Amino acid sequence: MSSANNHPDFLALILENKGIILKICALYCPDKHSREDLTQEIIYQLWRSGKSYDATHRFSTWMYRVALNVAISFYREGKRRRGDRSLSAFHLEIEEVSSDMSQEKERFAWLQACVQGLKEFDRALILLYFEEKSYREIAEILGLTETNVATKISRIKEKLKQCILNNKK
Amino acid sequence: MEDLELSELWKQFNQKIERANILNLQSWVLHLQTFEYLQTEKAKSRLNAVSRWKKGVAALGVVWVLFLVFLIVNSLVWWKLFFVLSVSAILGFNIYAVIVYIRHTLLISEIDNSESLIEVQQKTAQLKASTLQATRVLFLQAPFYCTFFWNFQWMRESPLTFWLIAFPIAVLFAVFSIWLYRNIHLRNADKKWFKLLFSGREWTSVIKSMEYLKEIEEYKKQF
Repeated sequence: MSSANNHPDFLALILENKGIILKICALYCPDKHSREDLTQEIIYQLWRSGKSYDATHRFSTWMYRVALNVAISFYREGKRRRGDRSLSAFHLEIEEVSSDMSQEKERFAWLQACVQGLKEFDRALILLYFEEKSYREIAEILGLTETNVATKISRIKEKLKQCILNNKK
Repeated sequence: MEDLELSELWKQFNQKIERANILNLQSWVLHLQTFEYLQTEKAKSRLNAVSRWKKGVAALGVVWVLFLVFLIVNSLVWWKLFFVLSVSAILGFNIYAVIVYIRHTLLISEIDNSESLIEVQQKTAQLKASTLQATRVLFLQAPFYCTFFWNFQWMRESPLTFWLIAFPIAVLFAVFSIWLYRNIHLRNADKKWFKLLFSGREWTSVIKSMEYLKEIEEYKKQF
């Protein structure tokens, strides 16, 4: 695969990695409408950045970099859905699965709220950590050293645990 | 709470997210591939808009610089010494501004989302923050707008009006512009005069970018 947007089936590529995109959106946008906007923006930027994909590097590293960069910029600019865009035929919609168990729903809400309480780069770090990426790949995606990544991860995990415990009380 | 419990919770959260569907994805991607979306959204892209605006300002800057050069070339006589010196100084500051704006447009085209998060976020923030740097330098040209009409005849014939009015005004402008140059800095962002001078949405985002740059630097260092 020489470039991501020349992939014989870009749609298949997006479908394969749909989970990653949706997870990133869930961590950077608290409401459904912004999540839909961000999903659209990420897919569009993946398409646009396709030419920059270098086949000698891992596809997942490239994809995480593009998607997380778009999410952080989107979050920092505080983008919201534009009225006219919601009517556009091109607008994507996300159909979320609601949990039947109220306890489960509550636990997810705590987790989401606690992660959303972290700084932008820390959210990316913890997401990659839970996605079982190696410290090396996380360091490559973020542009930090491996030692720095390891130290930060243990600190963020502690913060998260504390936040979830506080919510439980 | 143990690490394992946290990972388990994350796994369940993952499963829930992955069960979600993106409706109309197929038709949306099809539109994307036929370039329709690409063409309309490209025009709307914020960075492209910034780039176009900066290119426009740079083009106007070039016209202004050429006009100043024209004025200088046509004023090279001894009795217009102050005029030539003042316009030359203003020309220098404007050339600097044009170069900064051209650099910005190049920087915009260099931003590549597939670079590391720290690199891309730093470049984007730098782009906005450098607007303030350029503005503080441009303030230094202010006193030269008070000196271009000086001439030796005026000094000889009306020394009182020159030394008691024109000269002190220019000195005042010089002191004020140097003070602004030294004090327009993030450390003063919470001061009243700073907020008054840089009010408005555009400036707020510039200040935020400067704070963000500082945060990124801290983040890189922090262990």
